[in-house]
Amino acid sequence: MNPIRISVFNLVGSGFCVEAKDGDAVFISISKVLQQEQSVEISFQNVEMLTSAFLNTAIGQLYRDFSEEKIRALVKVVDMADADIALLRRVIETAKLYYKDPSWLEESVKLIMGEDE
Amino acid sequence: MINVLNNIHSSSADYAQIAALYDKNKDKFFEKIPVQLSQWFDANMAAPLGAVLDLLEDNLNDIAFEHIDNNIKTILQKNGFLKHFGFAHQPDSYCTTIQYQKMKPDDGRYFYGYVTDQFLNRSELPNMSEWLRKKMIEAMLELFVNAQIHSETKHIYTCGQFFPKRYTIEFCIVDTGIGFKRKIIRRFNKNISAVEAIRWAVKDRNTTKVGVSGGIGLALLGEFVRLNNGKLQIISYDGFYQYDSSGEQVETLAKGFPGTIVNVVFRTDDTNNYSLVSESNKTDLF
Repeated sequence: MNPIRISVFNLVGSGFCVEAKDGDAVFISISKVLQQEQSVEISFQNVEMLTSAFLNTAIGQLYRDFSEEKIRALVKVVDMADADIALLRRVIETAKLYYKDPSWLEESVKLIMGEDE
Repeated sequence: MINVLNNIHSSSADYAQIAALYDKNKDKFFEKIPVQLSQWFDANMAAPLGAVLDLLEDNLNDIAFEHIDNNIKTILQKNGFLKHFGFAHQPDSYCTTIQYQKMKPDDGRYFYGYVTDQFLNRSELPNMSEWLRKKMIEAMLELFVNAQIHSETKHIYTCGQFFPKRYTIEFCIVDTGIGFKRKIIRRFNKNISAVEAIRWAVKDRNTTKVGVSGGIGLALLGEFVRLNNGKLQIISYDGFYQYDSSGEQVETLAKGFPGTIVNVVFRTDDTNNYSLVSESNKTDLF
């Protein structure tokens, strides 16, 4: 079966994919497809500007609800500029670490306050 | 007694002057608050001043600019700041201003229009690579979204200035929200100082969001500024943080600013095209 294609531009309604709440709409669409065990192709065609905040909710959140194996097997990103892929990679690496152990953030606060010294 | 802001550039002492003006008047209601601007006033500093004056106006005080030196008046009329306080707008014949704007946090689309007008659709802008221009705009969008998500502010204030001879663009974004310190105290129940809170927030992957990963925006901005030889300043409550080519500098201000200021200086003569993240590999993304 062909993958389901999701147009980010169409879902957001603009080439400025900036706000976290707009990313949520993309996340919900991808989640629906993954829940059906279908593969999904996320197209960034005509997207002009991206922020990490948008990608955190659009894609990063997937690692909270789905296994890395499943995401790797079923999700594909297309029509994305190289610089944006680099940003997405960073968002993904951050999400993997965060959902593995969110408690490390508290440790980082202690570290800044010198409590661990 | 008149509130004098004298020789305002963008140093910690100058942010402290604006914070002190707020602190001195914050408990006043239904009063006239006279203000004087003397000697010099960096155009980008209109954003923190506007934020503070708005808070004082919320208490139904009357802000009265009793004296503004002519050189300051001209620039603040050109960038649209004084329009908010009963002065006429003046055209910017040199086209070096980045207009003063006050917007609601949910005005995302309005903000995109603003940055597009100020940074994309302007032929008089310094000759920058397309890559640099895109990165600068993305940095501004990240800052706007940060304020939108985290600050709980009523309004977001922005302003800036081009300095063609210095090959720099200065851009300032301000909120009157909760600030880094209180946000971290609320999230982690740790009695952190404002300076520590800023130092924590600029580190990669540190976020106060619950259930969603993040903390990349400010870290990316810091990396971009470092590579670009620019400058990043963050003031949140009484914490002052600065990063530039001479390194990191932190300070505690005498009085707290009622919100957060992020002021960035970008160099426009930067011809590099550095990747801020590891080399892209399209095949092994997930």
